[in-house]
Amino acid sequence: MTSGDSAALTTDGRIPLPAYLAVGLVAGSVIALQICIMRIFAVGNWVHFGSLVVSLALLGFGLTSAVMCAGKDWFERHWRGVAATALLLFGPLMVAANLIAQQIPFNAIFLISDPRQKWLLLANFLLYFLPFLAGALFIGTVLLRSRKAFARVYFADLVGSGLCGFSVLGAMYLLPPENLIAAPLALWAIGAWLWFVAQHDRRATLLLGIATLLAFGGHFLAPDWLGMPKLATSDYKGVAYARKFPDMSRVYHDISPFGELELYSSSYLHFAPGLSDNAAFNLPEMPANAYWGMYIDGDGPIGVMRSLPEAQTAYFRFLPMHYPYVLKPQADTFVAQFAGGISTVVALRSGARSVTVAEANPAIRDAFQNHQELRAFTGDLLHDPKVKVIGYDGRLYLAGTGNHYDVIDLSLADSAGLSNPGGFAIVEKYGYTEEAMRTYMRALKAGGILSVTLWNKEDPPKSVLRLYATMVFAARQVDTTNPENAFYAISTYLSTTTVLYKRGGFSPGEIAKLRDTTKGLSFDEVYYPGMEFDGSGADALLAEYHAQIFGDGKPQDDASGADAADPTLDNAGDDTAPQVLPAIAMGRLAWHSLIFGGWDELAQRYVFDIHPLTNDRPYFAAYEKASDLPRITDRLELFQDDWGYLLLWATLGVATAVSLVLILLPVLLGWRSIFSHNPGKLGTIVYFACLGLGYIMVEVGLIAKFIEALGNATVSAAVLITGMLVFSGIGSFASERFLDRSRRVMPMIFVAIGLLLIGYGTLIDPVLDWVGALPYGARLLLSILLLAPPTFLMGFPMPTAMTTLGRLGKDHMFLWAWGINGCFSVIGAALVPIVATTFGLSAVLAIAGAAYLLALPSFFAVLLPRSPRPA
Amino acid sequence: MAAGLAAQRALANVPVPYNWDAMPPADSAKTYIGWMQANRGEDPVYLAEHWKRYRVLVDNKDLKDDRNKRAFLMTPREKFVRPGNLPRAYANAFLDIGYGVTISGPHLVGRMTTSIDVQKGEKVLEIGTGSGYQSAYLSNLTDKVWTIEIIKPLAERTRQTYDELIAAGYSEYKAITSKNADGYYGWEEAAPFDKIIVTCGIDHVPPPLLQQLKDGGIMVIPVGPPGAQHVLKVTKQKAADGTITVARSDIYNGRIVPFVPFTALSGDTIKGTHNGGQ
Repeated sequence: MTSGDSAALTTDGRIPLPAYLAVGLVAGSVIALQICIMRIFAVGNWVHFGSLVVSLALLGFGLTSAVMCAGKDWFERHWRGVAATALLLFGPLMVAANLIAQQIPFNAIFLISDPRQKWLLLANFLLYFLPFLAGALFIGTVLLRSRKAFARVYFADLVGSGLCGFSVLGAMYLLPPENLIAAPLALWAIGAWLWFVAQHDRRATLLLGIATLLAFGGHFLAPDWLGMPKLATSDYKGVAYARKFPDMSRVYHDISPFGELELYSSSYLHFAPGLSDNAAFNLPEMPANAYWGMYIDGDGPIGVMRSLPEAQTAYFRFLPMHYPYVLKPQADTFVAQFAGGISTVVALRSGARSVTVAEANPAIRDAFQNHQELRAFTGDLLHDPKVKVIGYDGRLYLAGTGNHYDVIDLSLADSAGLSNPGGFAIVEKYGYTEEAMRTYMRALKAGGILSVTLWNKEDPPKSVLRLYATMVFAARQVDTTNPENAFYAISTYLSTTTVLYKRGGFSPGEIAKLRDTTKGLSFDEVYYPGMEFDGSGADALLAEYHAQIFGDGKPQDDASGADAADPTLDNAGDDTAPQVLPAIAMGRLAWHSLIFGGWDELAQRYVFDIHPLTNDRPYFAAYEKASDLPRITDRLELFQDDWGYLLLWATLGVATAVSLVLILLPVLLGWRSIFSHNPGKLGTIVYFACLGLGYIMVEVGLIAKFIEALGNATVSAAVLITGMLVFSGIGSFASERFLDRSRRVMPMIFVAIGLLLIGYGTLIDPVLDWVGALPYGARLLLSILLLAPPTFLMGFPMPTAMTTLGRLGKDHMFLWAWGINGCFSVIGAALVPIVATTFGLSAVLAIAGAAYLLALPSFFAVLLPRSPRPA
Repeated sequence: MAAGLAAQRALANVPVPYNWDAMPPADSAKTYIGWMQANRGEDPVYLAEHWKRYRVLVDNKDLKDDRNKRAFLMTPREKFVRPGNLPRAYANAFLDIGYGVTISGPHLVGRMTTSIDVQKGEKVLEIGTGSGYQSAYLSNLTDKVWTIEIIKPLAERTRQTYDELIAAGYSEYKAITSKNADGYYGWEEAAPFDKIIVTCGIDHVPPPLLQQLKDGGIMVIPVGPPGAQHVLKVTKQKAADGTITVARSDIYNGRIVPFVPFTALSGDTIKGTHNGGQ
């Protein structure tokens, strides 16, 4: 097939509607495939490896650009055949790549220790790269062919991506993760059919029928015939263990965009997070068959409490979440996150008058409120007359209600508790930020108690120090008096920590009561009013922790030259052993400096980054200081609980290296020949790099930011992807009207985008808090409206410049620019969480705004006409 | 490592009966390998790797007393790893053994077992049999080892490994009593225990295990991701008035000890191997 007469795409801008629809659907299929692969990795392996694979696979757009740039004339001549071939292959490649990838025994936890694993990860990347390459080749060919009417095709591309992305979220209610690929396949099949109909190409339509049968049959039938899994769940996922218990039974299963929710019953499940060791000697026995395990996307278990007779719940008194009820036995309690219900059950068993419990995940609420077996197992907990259920985040409810509580409980939220090797993703924890803590503290009645429990399984401690700082910083703003008397904090080594904050401060009698409780539980006190503090060991402690992580690995007694007492032997007579464990001493040092001053210096000297969580940096992740990053490469195994963060650096490094190659390839091949008549090359690179970087940083940054108001990452992603792409698509469509005036209009648009983004970064926080307290429909509507101003304008720069390149006849530049934009989108996506964890989400938007401002002067380089060919 | 290493895992018969007093020579690779071939009938290729790892563990102070040095030298790790991992049997890394379970790195096994100071005749319970390597190591320290595995096919596979090794002459493994059960409840019929090693994920220390620990007994539990585990040490003490208390610590008795990067013996020197190569 050759170009010949073009019916579907013409150089004079006449493009039939089915072709627009085809472009929109195929672009939507690419987005849908990204979401699908992320879900497959989330359920079968770990989600951030999915992000890595998808990010790098999107470099398929960069490679397509480079290849098309080098062979532009050939692609011009054979555009129809190339588009048809790419389109026919796209669907079958999706299925084949996914099926083969699922047979590859990649296991994230062995990434460092097993040299083979990096090759298996590379194989995953290469396989998933193939369908994206096909999709990119189709879209690239269409864009090349329609370059003089780029804005409209781009409009179809963006709006199609946005709407199809949203439709995949709907499909998640119908299709389990292993079959979610049917969504991108369906979009592809319909899009391709429309394309061939518009082309009046009967042979290709027939071939498409065969390809569609191959693709769907390959996914739905072949795996059963061949005995191959469609989605291989890692043996190291929490749910994989539950499935091996001999008396295991899956009692509940639900799929939705909020995750694949499974509940298993088994006598082998035991759940008592942070239980005092003393329970063993003060209780006859722990209740048997008392829990079900709840798993979301295979992670867990989160313990679901069985309704037990009072005698069997005596062990609750040995749990850390019981603390506030020592002082407030008949409380009006607010539980900030229901999860499996442990805090709610403990509150009721401790005599609470009422329990208001928030659960933002509708799938969990639905299970506990409507599933008969689960209702019977839990004693119909959520329909208990004392219990009131709030259907969204606790912090958002408390910010908008006038109700006040005796006890507010935030215990082990968003956390399954057991070690989850390889599964430590960077997740926004808006429930634990300074702003959230202030909300909790303000929602306390006079004398009310906020109780926060967190896992404490790190040594040197990391997350618990961030929690302590966050709570003290928040308290200082809620109550201007010294918080010295307002806190009581305990921890258990390698188990949990609990911080109690009392509005108005604890009385000496209350502190005495709490201290007695702690003694009875054998927990360690890290702070109480009037606690004596000996800071003489602080310097040594900080130095030793630093040497522990970044030293040369030599045991300390080697350094002294003496083979002193064996540090690993239980030597009762060893009087050189410290009386207090280093982790406890570090907790006490942190509290002392937070209350009495010196925190900043301590944080600066500590081996890890322990800044408090804020809505701008809401992460229990990225503990490595940037200056230490070069020193961790030979000891990565020590940072396994932060691999989600470190993988981002790896993604960024690989994406940058590959992007540079792809961007420079056309230059090396044709700087003098191909580009010799295209002035303003450097400016063009800068322009499209800025657009690629800026756009994706806004998209990914705002998805993280809008969770603050929408309370759920999936909903936020759905609203943001759809809203942004649709508004930008409309912007792209509108930009055509200003094409002739672009020299005057575009500078104003760049300035407006830059200022809006920087303004959003600075000012959006209180707006989102306000929006977050409104009814859900209003939150969705206002969130979408908030997106409109910048994202509509962000639809202008790309099509304006691309159409200009097309109309100026700078065809190679046109293709090259598209690739640069694509490559920097990949780089920008990896950069966002790195910038967010290091500098904050406001910095992400500020950088994106700066990128658009930087694009302004470069725009004029794009406008430069081709220089005439020498005679 | 030699390519042929992975190919063989045949069980040669042990030529000399097990002797508690026999200590393999530890002065050089040659004498060690020679003694082990003569007395244990093991493959010299693995023995060379065994020796190299031993030297590194001693240098890192993961093995300190003679009893633990002997236990390490006498326990053939290659008999407990999966065929696909045989070339890395003595790498200082945790390895997959199937069912979502790993065999801990020799560094952690040596360090943790040294820390609980097992004496001959003491009763030791292991929760999480896994590959069987930990119990095999323990059976060179005491003649009373109980081990529980929750995953039935793994428990059966490892029991078969023990039985095959016993049949081949590794009579010390007769000291190991194993069963497939929920380790949360311990092994009441055999309690109390002097030492307990827990090697599975838990969100609290199971009360039945604390109850089955002797007064003055020690329990160790690795906590955290496999690459950077901390070992929690729980000590049970009984005061004069009969009050029982439990003290939590780590295996370093509260000292901060540098993490040891993966290392290997290269010639006569020990070098870092950049994140766990061979």
